[in-house]
Amino acid sequence: MYDLVIVGGGPAAVAAGVYAARKKMATLLVAEGFGGQSIVSADIHNWIGEKSISGVALAERLEAHVRAYEPGIEIWTDRVESVSLASSSPRVFSVTTKKGEAVEARAVLVASGSRRKRLGVPGEDKLDGKGVAYCSICDAPLFGGKDVVVVGGGNAGLEAVVDLHAYAKTITLLQRSDALRGDPVTQEMIGKWDNVRIIFNAAIEEIVGDSFVSSVRYKDAKAGTSNLLAVEGVFVEIGSMPNSDIVKGFVDVDEIGRIKVDPRTGRASALGIWAAGDVCDGLYQQNNIAAGDAVRALLNIYSYLHSGK
Amino acid sequence: MKSVTVYSTPTCVYCKLAKDFFAKNDVAYVEHNVADDLKARAEMVEKSHQLGVPVIDIGGEIFVGFDKDALSKALGIAG
Repeated sequence: MYDLVIVGGGPAAVAAGVYAARKKMATLLVAEGFGGQSIVSADIHNWIGEKSISGVALAERLEAHVRAYEPGIEIWTDRVESVSLASSSPRVFSVTTKKGEAVEARAVLVASGSRRKRLGVPGEDKLDGKGVAYCSICDAPLFGGKDVVVVGGGNAGLEAVVDLHAYAKTITLLQRSDALRGDPVTQEMIGKWDNVRIIFNAAIEEIVGDSFVSSVRYKDAKAGTSNLLAVEGVFVEIGSMPNSDIVKGFVDVDEIGRIKVDPRTGRASALGIWAAGDVCDGLYQQNNIAAGDAVRALLNIYSYLHSGK
Repeated sequence: MKSVTVYSTPTCVYCKLAKDFFAKNDVAYVEHNVADDLKARAEMVEKSHQLGVPVIDIGGEIFVGFDKDALSKALGIAG
């Protein structure tokens, strides 16, 4: 029986893991990998304490930090599939994994983050990897000399434009609303590039292609027209979905599936379950916030385990 | 040991994770940088019918992306 199972390997899970180990709680951390979503970031400039660090380097440091406490904390490379109540008095949870392990714990911290949102338009599934890409830093070099679109005008979309700028012939940024949402610094930078064009009020309707992408169809919401744009690449950067399925139906979630937590404690609606980071219904998705939220949750878990409250 | 080929780009995170995994497990591999090497890029598309990296060829079996468990299984190692 563990005191605590931590689900995830991003900044929230690692922060909680370090604190749990230092408090000598019997803790199991289950993660498929370390680093969280920032692992694909070329350069992170706002992780406090580092002027600049790559996503991979941050992932390595996070992993090294929590592994420094092994065997005081147990770490499994696996994926949590479900969390359920094994007993209500005393309150004990059963946690099962993809590799078929089942363990019991008195508390669970869900720090499983979120995953990339898909467009959900015809052609997307069929042409996934065949011109449709979800990792601009990985795949940008393969689109050298080609015309591409980036869908989404938040920070991820703007960063995709930056990643593609060195390679692609032209980049068309399709933005659903009438303004970009990403950082003004990046907006200013891409605004100066000749091969970048931004189309506002553009809703992508279909990705067209036989064996590879040949064009996209988008609706111009203002003009009311449907337009075809010849491109060979579509980079999808429209935000994320919470990885909250493991506690689905067990704790309260918001309209997009994010776990509702008490912002003072990180507690979910079911006693004994906490959540931190991007899987929660917080207003902001940031590495620093995820780490801080997880520390708060962990301290609250510690007092729950010791006082029952 | 089966022959291993990695098709990668210099900026690809999952390519790096795959190469780190091979290095850790003493798996020798040939790497092609498909950002520059157009012949290798065509070969990669031919083998995987897609454009994403990494593509890993283990003795003729093709893997797209970095899936540690699947690679371990194909190589017959514990990982």
